[in-house]
Amino acid sequence: MAGGAAVALPAERAVGWLASTDHKRTAAKIGVASFFFFGLSGLLALLMRAELAQPGLQFVSDHAYDELFTMHGAGMIYLFLTPAALGLGLYLVPLQVGAAEVAAPRLALGGFWLYLCGGLAMYSGFLTDSGAGSDTWTATIPLSSSTHTPGVGMDLWVIGVGLAVLGSLLIALTILLTIVRLRAPGMTMLRLPVFSWTMLVTTFMVVASFPVMVVAMALLLAERHLGGVFTGATGSIAYQHLFWFYGHPVVYVMFFPFVGAVAEVVATFSRKRFFGYRALVFSLLLFTALSMAVWGHHMFVTGAVQNQYFSLTSHLLAVPAGIEYLDLIATMIGGAILLRTPMLFALGFICQFLIGGLTGIIVASPPLDYHVNGSFFIVAHFHYTLFAGSLFGLLAGVHYWFPKASGAMLREGLGKASFWLLVVGANVTFFPMFFLGFEGMPRRVPDYAPRFGDLNLLSSIGAGVIALGILAFLANVWISLRHRVPAGEDPWDGQTLEWATSSPPPRHNFDSLPPVTSHAPLLDRREAKEGAPA
Amino acid sequence: MTGSTRQDFDGLFSLYLAVGLAVALIVFAAVAFAVIRYRDREGRIPSRRSQANALEVGVAVLITAIVAFLVFRTFSTEAKEDDSSAEPVRIDVTAFQWGWRFTYPGQGVSVVGNSNAPPTFAVPGDRPVSFSLRSADVIHAFWIPGERFKRDAIPSRVNRFDLEFEAPGRQEGLCSEFCGLRHSGMRFDVWVLSDESYERWLAVQR
Repeated sequence: MAGGAAVALPAERAVGWLASTDHKRTAAKIGVASFFFFGLSGLLALLMRAELAQPGLQFVSDHAYDELFTMHGAGMIYLFLTPAALGLGLYLVPLQVGAAEVAAPRLALGGFWLYLCGGLAMYSGFLTDSGAGSDTWTATIPLSSSTHTPGVGMDLWVIGVGLAVLGSLLIALTILLTIVRLRAPGMTMLRLPVFSWTMLVTTFMVVASFPVMVVAMALLLAERHLGGVFTGATGSIAYQHLFWFYGHPVVYVMFFPFVGAVAEVVATFSRKRFFGYRALVFSLLLFTALSMAVWGHHMFVTGAVQNQYFSLTSHLLAVPAGIEYLDLIATMIGGAILLRTPMLFALGFICQFLIGGLTGIIVASPPLDYHVNGSFFIVAHFHYTLFAGSLFGLLAGVHYWFPKASGAMLREGLGKASFWLLVVGANVTFFPMFFLGFEGMPRRVPDYAPRFGDLNLLSSIGAGVIALGILAFLANVWISLRHRVPAGEDPWDGQTLEWATSSPPPRHNFDSLPPVTSHAPLLDRREAKEGAPA
Repeated sequence: MTGSTRQDFDGLFSLYLAVGLAVALIVFAAVAFAVIRYRDREGRIPSRRSQANALEVGVAVLITAIVAFLVFRTFSTEAKEDDSSAEPVRIDVTAFQWGWRFTYPGQGVSVVGNSNAPPTFAVPGDRPVSFSLRSADVIHAFWIPGERFKRDAIPSRVNRFDLEFEAPGRQEGLCSEFCGLRHSGMRFDVWVLSDESYERWLAVQR
């Protein structure tokens, strides 16, 4: 708008953006904040890999190293992957279900601010004399009591985690409510797009498990200042139960949304309807039910839980996971596959997450877990699920929906370069860790036996390659926003409602809605136009 | 017990590894096949088939069968009874920040060491060893990688377990549950000895 009273000053526009309750803007804020925390926590990982490149202590003290791995793990889980997964849902679910707005938009915005303040509180620990939190991302009792970890830095960590988890809970609630209450006419539950189904089960898990963690952090704070909350062996075991009752479902909160994103990408770039939609819905429900009943497998070596029960439920996770893999691959078979950047990241997710999943079956067996628990084998396992899996799934979704959210296409060349750098980096970094752990290297140590030197050096080189891949991605976003290639309404031949509106969508999302005839209404429309297959 | 702790582990691990590798190969092959065979080309019309319930049920049943077999093998490995007639050797282990104390009840022998001077304790190779594990402060974990076994040491709690050591020689052990500043230095050595050498070692320690 040139001239006139309607011109807003940059400061006013910034305030308007920060205070906006539009679900797309709240989601964008979550996206920016979570990538900020990803960058910070990633830098901490690079410092760790620098220290671990050689045996002995080179760069950091013992205590500084404890802060690094604590803040890296806590940052990635509480401040990056969980909020990023929910942010993706907050952006897309109202669009996919054909709603004009998210249910309870102010609650979602409040959730964002709680999460952001929690993250800043956690990181501000670095500015205190005692340093940031240093008791691992699980903060087990009695190590995290004020006797063993005094100082305000740890208090800030506990408060920050509590706020971030509470914020995530509120954001998830609004997504769940949107799916339950605001679906467009004709959108029955079995016409809900695949991604929205994964968000439904994700937010359901959040609502069931995150309150427990908020309470656990409140109790931990009380323990630190008043004492007498988690006393004796019962107290320390009880804390672990509370923590893992949240701590296992959150693993799937950081997984399901990306399965959903990958499913949408695979269907779109195979130019085919998602295969086995109903079977997938069933497997997601089964997965969700099981995910609430496996937490004890994190406690096999405590000798204080029913190992057989938790081993059985954990093994059973292979059944819904297998159905999901079958459906993803069967969607590709018979399609006409376009290997664009989102599809490459989706394929990376499928192949690499598999390694994390299969090694997950190994640690579901108590006699095997007695060896590898607490070792670098576990570090390798969950980085294959969370980095080589979830992050690749997130990037598949980001490359796929970026044109929708920004109106501009990302560059293919830079996208493919960052994909290959990340594939090489992830595998060079994390695969050697399986051998390191199996041969006896424990996690959370700045120093190790000299015989582990070579594999650690290799792993550290891989971390450098990952950093290059992330830089290539950031360069891609920067260049694509500076020199815009307009995306138009539907650059990929999408199948779901978000592709039936402008890019970016207007404040109220849709001017008109196409009829909702299945979970892929736009594909229905194209197929009807093309007529029956020959 | 038919074999040592390590042999039990290795047998079960090989099974899981073989199943895992087989599944990985099948999935990688299927993905590669799909991407190569169904790459978009001039004139390719994507199939409209999107459902095959018999296939879904078949795969679910197959995976359930594999899982049932793995769970059965896991449970039977865990449930293996100690059928050795030899009297077990009892050792009390106490973990503390940041070291270990190994006490031989009734023998008047105790060895202790910390991260500056890690302790070495001895076990006989041909008798089962019965451990009672405690912690004096925070949670630690007692891990002997060569034996493929660990267990948490939890304050105000005693964790009991039996191990059967195999070949004579020195094995390294360490704490594998983060326990504070000198966690990485919290190590020990296990000396697996013949019966006579073990008795001699005890005598020297007294």
